[in-house]
Amino acid sequence: MADGADADRLPTLGMLASALAGRSVAIDAQRPGDPTWTDGQTVFIDPALPARACLEAIAVQASMIAAGSLDPDILRPLARHSRLATRYLAVEGHRALAANADVLPRVLASLGDPDVAKRSNSPAESLSLASGKAAIGDPPPEFGVIRAKKLLAAGARAAKQDEQENPGHVPRSKRQQELSEFDDGEVDDTDSPDLFSSPVGGGGFIGKWLKKMLSSARKTGSGGGPPGADNPTHRINSGKRGAHAVSSLAAATSENVIDHEADLSSRGVKYPEWDVNRKSYKPDWCTVIEIEPVTKGSASPAIDDAIGLRRPLARLGMGLHRRHRQPQGDDIDIDAAVEAHVEAMAGSVPDEAVYLDSLRRQRDLSVLLLLDISGSTAEAGTVGRTVHEQQRTAIANLTVALHDLGDRVALYAYYSQGRAAVSMIPVKRFDDHLDSQVSRRLNSLEPGAYSRLGAAIRHGSAVLEARGGTSRRLLVVLSDGLAYDHSYERAYGAADARRALTEARRRGTGCVCLTVGAGTDVESLRRVFGNTAHASIARPDELASVIGPLFRSAIRSAEVRRRVS
Amino acid sequence: MNGAIPAADPTRPYYQAIGNEEAVFKAAYRQGLSVVLKGPTGCGKTRFVEAMAHDLGRTLITVACHDDLTTADLVGRYLLRGGETVWVDGPLTRAVREGAICYLDEVVEARQDTTVVLHPLADYRRQLPIERLGVTLDAAPGFGLVVSYNPGYQSVLKDLKDSTRQRMVAIEFGFPAAQIEEGIVEHEAGVDSATAAELVRFGQAIRRLETGGLREVASTRVLIAAARLIAEGLPVCTAAEAAIAGPLTDDVAVNRSLKQMINVYLGDPNRPDH
Repeated sequence: MADGADADRLPTLGMLASALAGRSVAIDAQRPGDPTWTDGQTVFIDPALPARACLEAIAVQASMIAAGSLDPDILRPLARHSRLATRYLAVEGHRALAANADVLPRVLASLGDPDVAKRSNSPAESLSLASGKAAIGDPPPEFGVIRAKKLLAAGARAAKQDEQENPGHVPRSKRQQELSEFDDGEVDDTDSPDLFSSPVGGGGFIGKWLKKMLSSARKTGSGGGPPGADNPTHRINSGKRGAHAVSSLAAATSENVIDHEADLSSRGVKYPEWDVNRKSYKPDWCTVIEIEPVTKGSASPAIDDAIGLRRPLARLGMGLHRRHRQPQGDDIDIDAAVEAHVEAMAGSVPDEAVYLDSLRRQRDLSVLLLLDISGSTAEAGTVGRTVHEQQRTAIANLTVALHDLGDRVALYAYYSQGRAAVSMIPVKRFDDHLDSQVSRRLNSLEPGAYSRLGAAIRHGSAVLEARGGTSRRLLVVLSDGLAYDHSYERAYGAADARRALTEARRRGTGCVCLTVGAGTDVESLRRVFGNTAHASIARPDELASVIGPLFRSAIRSAEVRRRVS
Repeated sequence: MNGAIPAADPTRPYYQAIGNEEAVFKAAYRQGLSVVLKGPTGCGKTRFVEAMAHDLGRTLITVACHDDLTTADLVGRYLLRGGETVWVDGPLTRAVREGAICYLDEVVEARQDTTVVLHPLADYRRQLPIERLGVTLDAAPGFGLVVSYNPGYQSVLKDLKDSTRQRMVAIEFGFPAAQIEEGIVEHEAGVDSATAAELVRFGQAIRRLETGGLREVASTRVLIAAARLIAEGLPVCTAAEAAIAGPLTDDVAVNRSLKQMINVYLGDPNRPDH
């Protein structure tokens, strides 16, 4: 095979390697002539190898990953003895292939030598065999090598990353008794956000009762009086007219908006912070400053149209109304039916639209998107792009889709450096046009510093309430995890963020969180936002499949709150 | 080899039992309990219900649920015919009246206020109140309620109400073991056992991918589809690309990786690289 084809082919073999290894494994090219090896996450292969040898090398290395041949305990003795490593590979390679025989492609079935494989039943046994005196032939060249030192180093790196949970930040103190502090926060927020946001209707009695109340209200509350049968003009006012008209109910006056902005840029706005240790608010603790966005000349002004997202979002935030005189529907509009009958008896042509239907017509939703641009998002995420790039794509798609559908959309990025400097960058305010300027600003954002999620949520929901102008409000946070800030440790920050969410939800703002690309800290975000208000996706294009139900349940639960309060 | 076992009755829809699911289903049916079938797409839930309905000698009424399914779609509605309104039974009401097995496919797709109509039917009452008619129907003997859903991907967001779930007996479905699956593919598509074994081996390999950019793994259904294309005379790789790679993903990169895997697993052994 030609080299050019190979370079193209290597990454596509990653799926094969992952299937054989039983977990995600990538394939990467290395210097021609070097033997194949793996660090446990990537198999490094000489791109000049012939196709067949390439497959064999991948099969051996991936099978060893699957068979646990490369566990740190086994590798440690190998690290200093390359001869031992070779002998170990000669036995263990065959054993791993035999153990993986069920999923090995038939073309590679002859690769493992069953006689050698029979000599050992486990990595440990292979190791003792290799360190013994028994005669062991050299492994075939396509087996590659085991680089124990690099494997150990890679393993240690991965472990450290897990431990830190948040590699982008410098931990200011050890996260001691993390769980107990989390529990403290939980006890405190007696009305947990999950009670209502659960799509199963909330386990609790109150949740069910509220839901019942809500659904019956929906059926009777709207629709207005049925048109009188004797009034012909009402027939013109049928559902057909303006069936696709979409309008926003938003009504924000421009004057106070300007006032608000002037206010912000000069002094900043102070917000309280919840101190979980003392179980009280620290009044005026955080200062949120809105920073004018900087645009880089190089930033691309392109706006993708997010067609894929429109479908799941299209039905969100539409008021559900019982409509009379529909051409089809789930029940008969008796008035219209009688009228049609009378018309028919009288000899004129009756209107056939005699059904009742529940339709969603009017857009009544404002959405504020919060983008986390703290330092951790500069980490590499999935598919070779940083978390920040992935989040940016996702948020751009969301903004465009919501805007196209006629919703009110604002987009703010946030980062912080201590409580006095929580910075919010208004990429798009509610009244800004969605134009190339917005996307330039968005593409100019550079991740850096820390994040104080609680303050960002408080400011976001305040802006949303002041300027959203609709009765349905949704706050969407895109973040890769809870981040640290100065004296804003993990458990403390989680409790504060949860508190901020409870405040927002109590005022009728739905809150959800999205994690795009490999999040390091998804679990704690999920604990803060609640199971049903957090979704984690690997790539921006998976957004379409999660967004509909996620937003819907958040909006619904916020609606319930609002009715109660 | 496994395909031969249930062939005693040629009219019975082909279903190969994996565990005790047939016994559980029949016991639940005889006790008048409702059943929820859980499992990934294409693992045989629908076929299982067909086979059970055949074994029990009941008519099967299937409703494919979607998110606009209203209560009226299930229970029935008044229609205008001539100058009068006429009541037309929905599929659920028909099953209740006739004592048929009503199968709601992908029930989580239906709106939650719709599935509540199942509650009085699914518990000890076995009644269907029809408020528009002002009557409450007692389920005819032999009525059975079966729902199915796919709890896999995004189960957090789409789920059944607890009050619905707890009225049901659950039967979990998974993909069958390699040997059984080979028999199924062989029987369903009429290919030789070697081809079936190759396809199943490939399917098992795909199922080991954790996510790999695939939303769902290769189901028994897509393996059968590929085998049927092969039985029709298509080359193995072409069939697998059309029936497995294409349906599983739209992503260009993932698709290319899948084709590569198809080549490795199903390609001509003498020319592993095309």
